[in-house]
Amino acid sequence: MIANLLEPTPLPVTVRANRVAVGSPLYNEILEFLYDEAEMLDNVRLGEWAELLAPDIEYNVPLRLTKPMRQQGGTVIRTVQHMHDNHASLMLRVRRITDTRSAWGEDPPSRTRRMVSNVRVYKTDKPDEYKVQSYLMLTRSRFDFDYFDLLPCDRHDVLRRQGGSFQLARREVIIDQSVIGTPNLGIFL
Amino acid sequence: MLTPAQPVLSDGTRISDLINLETREVQLRALSDKEVYELEMERIFARTWIFLAHETEIPDAGDFVQRDMGSDSVLVTRDKSGEVHVVLNVCTHRGMKVSTLDSGNTQAHLCIYHGWAFRPNGDFIGAPVEKECMHGKLMSKQQLSLKKARVALYGGLVFATWNIEGPSFDEFLGDAKWYFDTLWCRTTRGMEVLGPPQRFMIRANWKAAAEQGASDGFHTLTLHRWLGEIGPYAKKPGTEGGGADLTPEMYGVEVWTDHGHTMRCIDLDRKIRRITGQDPSSLTPAQKLAVLPPPGLTPEMIPDVVSRLTPEQIRIMSSNPPQVGNFWPNGLFEFIYLPTADGKVVGAMALHAYVPMGPDKFMFMNWILAEKDTPPEQKAAMLRISCQLLGTSGMVEQDDSDTWPHQTIVAKGAVSKHITMKYQAMYETGKPEGWPGPGHVGSGFTKDDTNWSFWQYWHELMIA
Repeated sequence: MIANLLEPTPLPVTVRANRVAVGSPLYNEILEFLYDEAEMLDNVRLGEWAELLAPDIEYNVPLRLTKPMRQQGGTVIRTVQHMHDNHASLMLRVRRITDTRSAWGEDPPSRTRRMVSNVRVYKTDKPDEYKVQSYLMLTRSRFDFDYFDLLPCDRHDVLRRQGGSFQLARREVIIDQSVIGTPNLGIFL
Repeated sequence: MLTPAQPVLSDGTRISDLINLETREVQLRALSDKEVYELEMERIFARTWIFLAHETEIPDAGDFVQRDMGSDSVLVTRDKSGEVHVVLNVCTHRGMKVSTLDSGNTQAHLCIYHGWAFRPNGDFIGAPVEKECMHGKLMSKQQLSLKKARVALYGGLVFATWNIEGPSFDEFLGDAKWYFDTLWCRTTRGMEVLGPPQRFMIRANWKAAAEQGASDGFHTLTLHRWLGEIGPYAKKPGTEGGGADLTPEMYGVEVWTDHGHTMRCIDLDRKIRRITGQDPSSLTPAQKLAVLPPPGLTPEMIPDVVSRLTPEQIRIMSSNPPQVGNFWPNGLFEFIYLPTADGKVVGAMALHAYVPMGPDKFMFMNWILAEKDTPPEQKAAMLRISCQLLGTSGMVEQDDSDTWPHQTIVAKGAVSKHITMKYQAMYETGKPEGWPGPGHVGSGFTKDDTNWSFWQYWHELMIA
């Protein structure tokens, strides 16, 4: 099937019985990972952020379509997407900003704030991997513009236990807008 | 006041005062003025041919997509017989949008307000409780149909115009058709979209993007310099150009036409030498196409291409293929060869529309395409690299999208609005020796003639 080639690897399913309790040590550890990650991205510490990425990471941001209530399954499009990256392409995005003097889309950089909430953690079939869902409210301020570009989205991650911490092994970001209200995704979600 | 015959802005400025045809300058005011924008909606977007969709977005009977044709919402539909229609998405009853969906499939578009229903071709089917005749008796059902635009299909692309008696689509393409056929009509089975278009909003005037889309080459050197620093065009030390220098990429041939359609044609021989190591002068045109197939093609697909085009067209395809260009007024296409780290070449085929949403805002739409016959693995590779370099998150195009808003803001300044955009780098070469194609042609390092032809036709239609 061509769809299998065009579309990203499906995420592991969320099994509610495998929920990791809010406030448990494991949950707190994952929450801290997400908070620290947000801090790195908000402060454009992209080199550090890149170290969190698993070598086999798949990172995708589907399109959204406005569809009737009974066709809600069809509102998330994973063929053409806003982003579909692997480790090499994410690193190119990072190096474009850190290693060149002409990544104008983010130079001067946006001022961003990533508010991470509604974090839910689930065990998966793999003992060292956790499915993590979170809401992200990203505010983006550019230049002297008096408005914020807002990017509310729903993140579906797989975190993999790596030594004393975690690596991001998978991320899918479902954006709430069908027409994105910021001039580019030169930032990470 | 705006007068239809001789457009004059409310402060007495004529449209012709905004553009200096002798010195090839355009006042920045043209980029953001509300009255200019309103004139454009009437004189350009309601009169000329506008690109709206690709046929493969609506493959089945009843399929539709909602699109914007200038400032008007339209439905692009396919009826039972397979014919494609473009109808105004405005209910003839009380002006509700007939559809609020991005896309779907139906044989009867039902307005949710009072229940008036319309066929995919816009014909009025009826209103609820037929015997009570909600639609009255003053107008026939035919008169109550959705307003229908004139449609042209070209290589799978759907264009429409409200100018029912105006020039044909072929007349509109003019001299560009000879070249565009080598892109859009090159295979028997044709192209397909790989998914719905990306859409994102840019707070800039549509022309800031569209005049750049008219084959601007110069901006590449600075705005896209990263491509040479670490990106796909980065050279190893000591090789041609060296380091971040993108200058060698800027040589080729540029074509511009009287209706503002333009293209930048690259020097393929140079690419063949660099990428394949072969001597292009020892190869026939068909062999060259097989050695370095254009984006979306494979060596196996070349005989079909050769059989569909004239030897002269094949010669241009194999020596100076159009790589980027525009459908006037607001469409841009890219057929790019992208060298990858492992020495291979991945093609990308993308089509943009810069859809006006007011004088200071436009929607960027990006369709990613392949030939239907492109092998699935290649389609997937083309799709990936397109998403990474073009459109919403594109490492190349995110730099463009950050430029246009600033031009638009500046264009409002009481002093700044009189500053001009200049298009004074002119070709002095004429057509290369033996060039078989029509239109205006310049050879060598990129120039401004293509962008200027965008403004010339803009002026022509705005004062027509």
